[in-house]
Amino acid sequence: MAKSDDCVRILQGLLVFGNVVIGMCGIALTAECIYFVSNPHDLYPLLKATGNSDINAAAWIGIFVGLALFALSILGIIGVIKASRTLLTVYIILMLITFAFEMASCITAATHRDSLTPELLLKQMLEKYQKSANNSDNEVTKTWDEVMLQNHCCGVLGPSDWQEYTSAFRLTHSDADYPWPRRCCALDAQGLPINLDGCKLGVPGYYNSNGCYDAISGPVNKEAWGVAWFGFAILCWTFCVLLGTMFYWSGIDY
Amino acid sequence: RPHSRPRHPGVCTMLPLLLLLLPAAHGVVHLKYTPALTTEPPLEGVKTASTFAVDQPRCVFQNYGNAVIWLVVALDQAASTFNNTARPASPETAFQRFPNPVPAYMTLNTTLANYPCPSPEGDITVLRVGSETSCTQDERRPSCNGPLPGPGPYRVKFLALEDSVPVAETSWSQPITLRQAKSPNSISTAGSGHSAGMIAITTILSILFAILLAGLVAMLFFWGSDSCGSSSSFSKPESVTVRRYNPHHVYDQPAARL
Repeated sequence: MAKSDDCVRILQGLLVFGNVVIGMCGIALTAECIYFVSNPHDLYPLLKATGNSDINAAAWIGIFVGLALFALSILGIIGVIKASRTLLTVYIILMLITFAFEMASCITAATHRDSLTPELLLKQMLEKYQKSANNSDNEVTKTWDEVMLQNHCCGVLGPSDWQEYTSAFRLTHSDADYPWPRRCCALDAQGLPINLDGCKLGVPGYYNSNGCYDAISGPVNKEAWGVAWFGFAILCWTFCVLLGTMFYWSGIDY
Repeated sequence: RPHSRPRHPGVCTMLPLLLLLLPAAHGVVHLKYTPALTTEPPLEGVKTASTFAVDQPRCVFQNYGNAVIWLVVALDQAASTFNNTARPASPETAFQRFPNPVPAYMTLNTTLANYPCPSPEGDITVLRVGSETSCTQDERRPSCNGPLPGPGPYRVKFLALEDSVPVAETSWSQPITLRQAKSPNSISTAGSGHSAGMIAITTILSILFAILLAGLVAMLFFWGSDSCGSSSSFSKPESVTVRRYNPHHVYDQPAARL
C-alpha cells in the first residue's frame, strides 16, 4: 500500500498546487478587471456611441469570477486534504458554474473587440462629430477633439474622411473654410493653427495626415485581449485541475 | 474727266489705318504654358469639394511687366467660347452670377510683381481657387475668388490685360473635376468577420466545458460505487478510517484483535 500511498500523496500535492495557482490567478484576474473598470480609458464615450461598451461588461464579470475562483480554490484545497466526497462534489459543481461565466466573459470580450472596425468608427464620427444637438453627441465631439489633439491624428483613416463623405460637421462648416476640422491642423502652444492656409491646403507639416484608428483601437485591444486571453489561460489550467479532482474523487473510499 | 465711281475723301487714309488696326486686334499673344493642379509638393487639399489649387504662373508673363494677370475660370463646355475681350470685374464675368447665366468668371487679379521669377527655393507657389468665402453673395465684388458651386468639370487659364486690353493668354488647363462627397450611409458596417483568435477561444473553451460536463455527469451517475476504474482505491487519512467497523467481530474474537 505504500506505493498507492505515494500516488495518493502525489495526486493530493498536485491538486493542492493546482488550486493554489487557481486562487492566485483568481486574485490577479480580479485585480486586472478592477483596473480596467475603474480606470476607463478616455475613449469610453466613443465606444458607448458605437454600442460597443460590452467590453466593460466582460470586465465586470471578470471581477466576480476572480473572487469566486479564489474562494473555490480554498474549498478545493480543504476538500482534497480531507478527501471528502461531498466537499469535492460541491467544489466541482461550483467550479463548473464559474467556468461557464468566465467562458462567457472571454467570448464577449473577444467578439466585441472584433466588431470595433474602422468602418463602424468612421460612420459614428461622421454622424455625431460636431452635431451639438444633445449631450451624448457633445461627449463624442469632446472625445474626438481630445484624441486628435493628443495623438496628432485626424479622422479615422485620414483627413480625407471629411472630404469623401458628407457629415454633420459639413452641415455647419463650409468646405472651403474647413476642408477638415481645425483640430487636424498642427497647433502651436496657444492652440491656434501654425499656418491656417497651409492646413487648409494640406501642406505636409501643417496638418495631421494620419488617421486615429490605431490610436483608438490600441487601448481597446489591450483591454479586450487582457480579459479574453488571460481568462482563457486560467480556464485551461482550471480544466486540468478539475479533471484531476474528478479522478481523485472517483478513487476516494466511502 | 470720266470717274469710275465716286470716292470718299477719307478712304485713302482709312486703308492704312485699317491695316494698322488688324495686328492690334490679333495681338493677344498665346503663351505656351498650361495651368495645372499643383503636384509638387503633394497637397492633400489640392482638390476639395469646392476648391482646387493650381501652380502660380511663375516666369511666364515676363514680357508683360505692366499687365494685370487675371485667372479665368470657366465651365468645361464654355471654355472654347470664352471671349478674351470680356471685361473683368463686370457683370459678364462676375463670380456671383456663375455658372448661370455667366459660364466663366475672372478672379485673382494681380500684377507681375507677385509672381517673381525665379521662385525662391522652398517656397510653395500655389493659387487656391475658391478660398474667399466672405464675398460669395456680394455683388460689389464681382472678382471674388469664391468657392465653386459644383464638382465641375472646370478649366482655367491666365489672361494678361493692359488697360483692360488683353495682351497675352495661356492655354486652357485640362478639365478639373472636384471631389464629390458620398453619404455616410454608404459605409457598410456589416460583416466584420471574426478573427481567428476569437474562433479559437470559443471552440476550445466549448470543448473543454463539454468534457467537464461529461465528467461531472459520470461522477454523479457512479456516486456510491467504490471502485470505478481505479485498480487500487486509496484510503482516507487516519482521522476518518475508524468509520468502517464490524461490531460482531469485536465481540466474537476479542483475543485475536488484541
